[in-house]
Amino acid sequence: MKKLIQFKNIVKQFDGQVVLKGINLDIYENEFVTLLGPSGCGKTTLLRILGGFLEQDQGQVIFDGEDITNTPAYKRDINTVFQKYALFPHLNVYDNIAFGLKLKKISKDIIEQKVNRMLSLVGLEGYGKRDVTQLSGGQQQRVAIARALVNEPGVLLLDEPLGALDLKLRKEMQLELKKIQKEVGITFIFVTHDQEEALTMSDKIVVMKNGEIQQIGSPEEIYNEPENEYVARFIGESNIIDGKMIQDYVVEFDEKKYDCVDFGFKENEEVDIVIRPEDIDIVARNHGLLNGEVKSVLFKGVHYEIIVETVSGTSKTVTMHVLGNKDIVNDAAKEKISASDFYLDLEDVDSLNNSEVIARANAQAWDFDNEDISISKVSYNVLNAKGQYPCTFTTANGTSITVTITVVEPVYTEDVNNEEAVQAFDFYKTVDEIKESIALDTDLKRWANATAWSLEDDSRVEIWDVKYDFDEENIVEGDYKITFATKGREFKIHTTDYVEVNAKVGLKFSKEDIHVMSKMGF
Amino acid sequence: MIILYAFTTKGNSVLTLQFTFSNFTRFFEDSIFPNVLVRSLRLAFFTTVACIILGYPCAYFISKLNVSKRNMMILLITFPMWTNMLVRTYAWRGLLLNMPISNELKVYIGMIYNFIPFMILQVYTSLAKMDQSLLSASADLGANRFQTFLKVTLPLSLPGVITGITLVFLPAVSSFFIPKLLGGGDYVLIGNLIEHYFVSTGDWNFGSAISLIMAFVILASMYLTKKLDKDVKEAK
Repeated sequence: MKKLIQFKNIVKQFDGQVVLKGINLDIYENEFVTLLGPSGCGKTTLLRILGGFLEQDQGQVIFDGEDITNTPAYKRDINTVFQKYALFPHLNVYDNIAFGLKLKKISKDIIEQKVNRMLSLVGLEGYGKRDVTQLSGGQQQRVAIARALVNEPGVLLLDEPLGALDLKLRKEMQLELKKIQKEVGITFIFVTHDQEEALTMSDKIVVMKNGEIQQIGSPEEIYNEPENEYVARFIGESNIIDGKMIQDYVVEFDEKKYDCVDFGFKENEEVDIVIRPEDIDIVARNHGLLNGEVKSVLFKGVHYEIIVETVSGTSKTVTMHVLGNKDIVNDAAKEKISASDFYLDLEDVDSLNNSEVIARANAQAWDFDNEDISISKVSYNVLNAKGQYPCTFTTANGTSITVTITVVEPVYTEDVNNEEAVQAFDFYKTVDEIKESIALDTDLKRWANATAWSLEDDSRVEIWDVKYDFDEENIVEGDYKITFATKGREFKIHTTDYVEVNAKVGLKFSKEDIHVMSKMGF
Repeated sequence: MIILYAFTTKGNSVLTLQFTFSNFTRFFEDSIFPNVLVRSLRLAFFTTVACIILGYPCAYFISKLNVSKRNMMILLITFPMWTNMLVRTYAWRGLLLNMPISNELKVYIGMIYNFIPFMILQVYTSLAKMDQSLLSASADLGANRFQTFLKVTLPLSLPGVITGITLVFLPAVSSFFIPKLLGGGDYVLIGNLIEHYFVSTGDWNFGSAISLIMAFVILASMYLTKKLDKDVKEAK
């Protein structure tokens, strides 16, 4: 195959922001090439440079052996299908397609022949007289393709042309575009952010990120052997695990060694490991390489998506004291007031203020018509030491309530293996507050002041799981245990076999399914 | 009321109405009046043409600027409209009074100055709302800048030009104080005639007849522009 287009060290900046950081890319004849990446990765910019609508700051574009850097767009043997088609609204379908040919001063009967041939190629015979503004999205798309192809360009550029179509039409057009490309036998350069679209249509995929090429390869190569974590994540759902390459063909993660087919890394090099969800099988406990517990099962149409936790996260259990309602009623002032006892972290004593105390105690006052009344006075005297202290809330009319603030030392659990710690406090709540909660898990986290952090670098870790065994609709007074846990090691598995949530299972995968990648250098 | 006056003779009360066509025959019998009508139409026509020729490039230029400069230019163009048309025309009178140019030219300057913003704004609006990717598409299909202008920009901005024509031509036909102020006494137009018969001589009947004739001419020209607009739309 012959090299048709060569990008040589293309650099482009917009307002001092580098959009393309030295792109080198060869594109061959008759290839269906996809530039794949999230928005802002520079893929469209690269396409526009090739189309002649933008000029690169540095580097060369070679087209068919010639440097076309200084060739204006209208002289390039390249045509484009634009994102929103850019059909001329004042021309009908026929005249839109004939636009380029008329400029070339081709005789009328030849134009007619060519346009009609294009109309049948894109399946729009008999649509010539139609107004383009009255066509559906899919039909406009076809007109745009015909308008570009009728000029018989060396390359067709397609700038996210399927973005505006609905899912079903998009799938149809994907196949059709591929068919058209095979039929006319020219190079298509297709820009998209949709990895599935790229995998379906391309001969070659160029994965881009932040103005740099991450990987170039066939769809199979990109999918099965992603070069780094970014490509692996972008190309499909994956389990990506931090691991260590012990030696060639042996990798370790979560304190266990596994055989693999990868080699050529340094000894004990930190690596990323990819295991595709469809490569993992669920087997009976102790019959696989790993054991775990099923956390969730989602039906996805063709398969189930099952999350299995193999290593549990760091957890901390606290007690929730549930009390009955003890509103204080002031008949004289026709007011009611309520507040709860609460626990306070010794470290937070210094930063305590009135609004914080009101929020923590959930102090509220209202009149007999249920209109809220503001609390005008908060009096407390909390010392910087463990112990119990009274706190009184009073309204302007003298209705008041006193609660107890219990100052405690922070207690947290550390998990050395996970390198994480979780901290949470006991707390008091009334039956009503629990029943009124709309997002109970979030409220529980807030009430218990539950936080988790990494022991490695002190960064925040999300509390992933809140476990409790009461029914919030029918809760009564009493003490309840609540456990807050971070996310453990979870595997996403795609399988057609159903398993129950909470089942204890084993996981199995072959050594070919483990893909080891070097860590992305930062 | 105008219609009633136009078809009655002078000096009768509501009770003794006397219908007549004499007001209309008088208009066409005397060659002065049709001449004035033709002169009015001619002035309006050339004012409109001049507004297109000067206004289109101006609007095109503005539409190519970046957003903040564009808004500045639009503000500058609409700015004089904040003052009264009469005041502006008096200002021109002062400027042009001692210039060695013909009265007719002075009238044209005043007319174009007063009406060109309408044309610029209309054309600018139609150019600004045009999808810029159409220009890229045109270049992509092999059209150079001039071809792109002829085949894409111009046809797509025509509706704006036609609205501009309506907004310039119609008031221009009936304007009377610009010619009066800038043309000296000798540049009589149909608007001046109407003013003359209503205000100076008090011959409301004849004045009404002239207004009706002018209204008819305006209706006819509106019909023509409408038709032109439709033809443009159908031509695509």
